[in-house]
Amino acid sequence: MKMSPQYTRAQANMQPGVITSDGFLGDDHRNLVDIIEADEEKFSQLDLDFDHVARRLRSLLEAGRKGLGEPVTIEGKWIITTSEARGHLASPFEDGIYRKVNARIEYAPQGKPTGEELLISDLSLHLLETHHFLQGKGSPFRIEPEKIRKVLEI
Amino acid sequence: MDLLFFIAPLAVGGISAAFAALISVTDRIVNNYGDVVIDINKGKKELTVKGGQPMLFGLAESGIFVPSACGGRGSCGACKVTVRSDVGPLMPTEAPYLTQEEIKGSVRLSCQIKLKQDVEIEIPEELFNVQDYQAVVEKITDVTHDIKEVYCKLPEGKEVSFISGQYGQFEVPPYGKVKERTMRAYSMSSAPSDRNHLEFLIRLVPGGIVTTYAHEHLKEGEKVRIIGPFGDFQVRDTDATMICVAGGSGMAPFKSIFQDMIDNGTITNRDIWYFFGARSRRDVFYLDWLYELDEKYNNFHFVPALSEPQPEDNWEGPTGLITEVLDGYLKEKISREHNLEGYLCGSPGMLDACMAVMTANEMKTEDIFFDKFA
Repeated sequence: MKMSPQYTRAQANMQPGVITSDGFLGDDHRNLVDIIEADEEKFSQLDLDFDHVARRLRSLLEAGRKGLGEPVTIEGKWIITTSEARGHLASPFEDGIYRKVNARIEYAPQGKPTGEELLISDLSLHLLETHHFLQGKGSPFRIEPEKIRKVLEI
Repeated sequence: MDLLFFIAPLAVGGISAAFAALISVTDRIVNNYGDVVIDINKGKKELTVKGGQPMLFGLAESGIFVPSACGGRGSCGACKVTVRSDVGPLMPTEAPYLTQEEIKGSVRLSCQIKLKQDVEIEIPEELFNVQDYQAVVEKITDVTHDIKEVYCKLPEGKEVSFISGQYGQFEVPPYGKVKERTMRAYSMSSAPSDRNHLEFLIRLVPGGIVTTYAHEHLKEGEKVRIIGPFGDFQVRDTDATMICVAGGSGMAPFKSIFQDMIDNGTITNRDIWYFFGARSRRDVFYLDWLYELDEKYNNFHFVPALSEPQPEDNWEGPTGLITEVLDGYLKEKISREHNLEGYLCGSPGMLDACMAVMTANEMKTEDIFFDKFA
C-alpha cells in the first residue's frame, strides 16, 4: 500500500531519537502503512475492535493510576502498576501531546500472575485508538493482538 | 549509442554531486551563525558559545546547567528561562508547557530556542553553582525487588554542596537500541554531610531508558556523569509540623532530609510525620532505620501503610492508599497546635492526590512543597 505524505512524516517521527530514544518501530523494517494494515487484518481475524480495546485498556490504566505508583489489583484479575513522569510526549502523527503515563497490566486471575502482560501508555492508547498503530515488532510498547485477547479475556 | 549509454549516467551522477555540494555549501553559509553571546542576569555572566545549537546545550557547554528531566527533547518542560531579547515567536513545541502568565513574562524552553544571535536571559542564580561530576558507582544495593540504591563516589578532591531535598541529573551511556546518552532527574538520598558521595534511589520503570540501564547494566566501578544540584524542594525554617508523604523511590529526599536534620541537630525542633505508601511488605524499605527514629525521637512519627498487604506479610499496621491513611491522621491524630507544612515526593498523580487531601483538611496550598517529577 502507498504511503501518504502524512504517514511518511509520521514514520520519520517514529525513528529513535526523534520523540523517544527507542522510537516506535523497534526492529520492524516494514513501512508504517504495512504495519497498520497487517495489525488491522489480525484484529479482524481475532474479532477485536480497536475502539473497544482502547476503552478497556484506558479504563484499566485509569484504575491503575489510583494506586499512586504502587501496584493495584483490579477485579481480582489484573495487577496494574502505573508510572508517571513529568511532561508530555508528542504523537508522531503530530495530532496532540500525551501525558507520560504508562501502565504494566499483568494478567493474574485469582491474584496469581500468569506471566502474560501488556505495557501501555497514554500515547500508545491514542495510537491504537486513532491510528490503529500498535507499534513495530520489537518496540517496547508494541501491543500484540493475541496478547490483548489473552490478557483482557476478550 | 554505446557511448551515450555510459555518458548519461555519469552526467546525471555529476549533476547530482554538484547539487549536493551546492546544498552543503549553502547550508554552511546560511546556517553558520558564528559565535553568539549569552548575557545572563543583566551582565552577571556573559558566555560566548557556538551559534546554531539549542540554548540549553550552549549554556551547558559553558558550565551553566539548566535543569532538564528529558535531556533536551522538549518533552518535560523543565528547562525554562526568561528571555529578554528577541529570539523569535513561541514554538508550538513550547506552548503546552507554559502558562499564560509565563508566556506573558517571556518564559521559554531553552531546549527549543536555537541560538542564532546574541541573547539576554534570566535564570535563578543558584544555577551558577551547579556542577558536572564524573563519579564512580561505589555500591549498588537492591533495597526492594524494583528499587536500587546507587551510591556514587565523586572524583578525588571534589566535594559536593547541596541542600537535602534537591536532585541531580543522572546520565547513562548509549546501550542496546538507545543510540544517545540519556539523562534523567533523581532526588539525592544521601545526606549533605557526605560531601564525597551522591546517592540515588532508582525504581525500575517498564520501558524507562535510564531506569532499565540502572537495573540491568549498571555495574559497581562504572563511571557515571551526574549534574547537580537542582531544585528548591527543601525544609522550610519554621516551627510548623512537617507532614511528609512518599511512596516507592519518593523515599529518597526524605532519607536525605531526616539524616540532615539529625546531623545538624534540628530533628527534635518540630513534629515530623512521615507517611510512606506501598502495596505490600516487599515494597517497603529502610523500615529498621525509620522505626529506630520513631522510637528515639518523641516528635518523629513514622506511618507506613500497605494498600494490598499479602497474607504472608502478617501486616498489623495501617492499610489502604496512603492518601486515605493521611486523611484519617489529619482528621483525627495530628495536632493543629502548630501550622502544618506538607512535603511530598512522588509521581504527578500521587502529588495531585495528596494535595487534594491536604487542602481538604485546611492545609494551605502555599505551605505544601514538592518537586513534580518521578
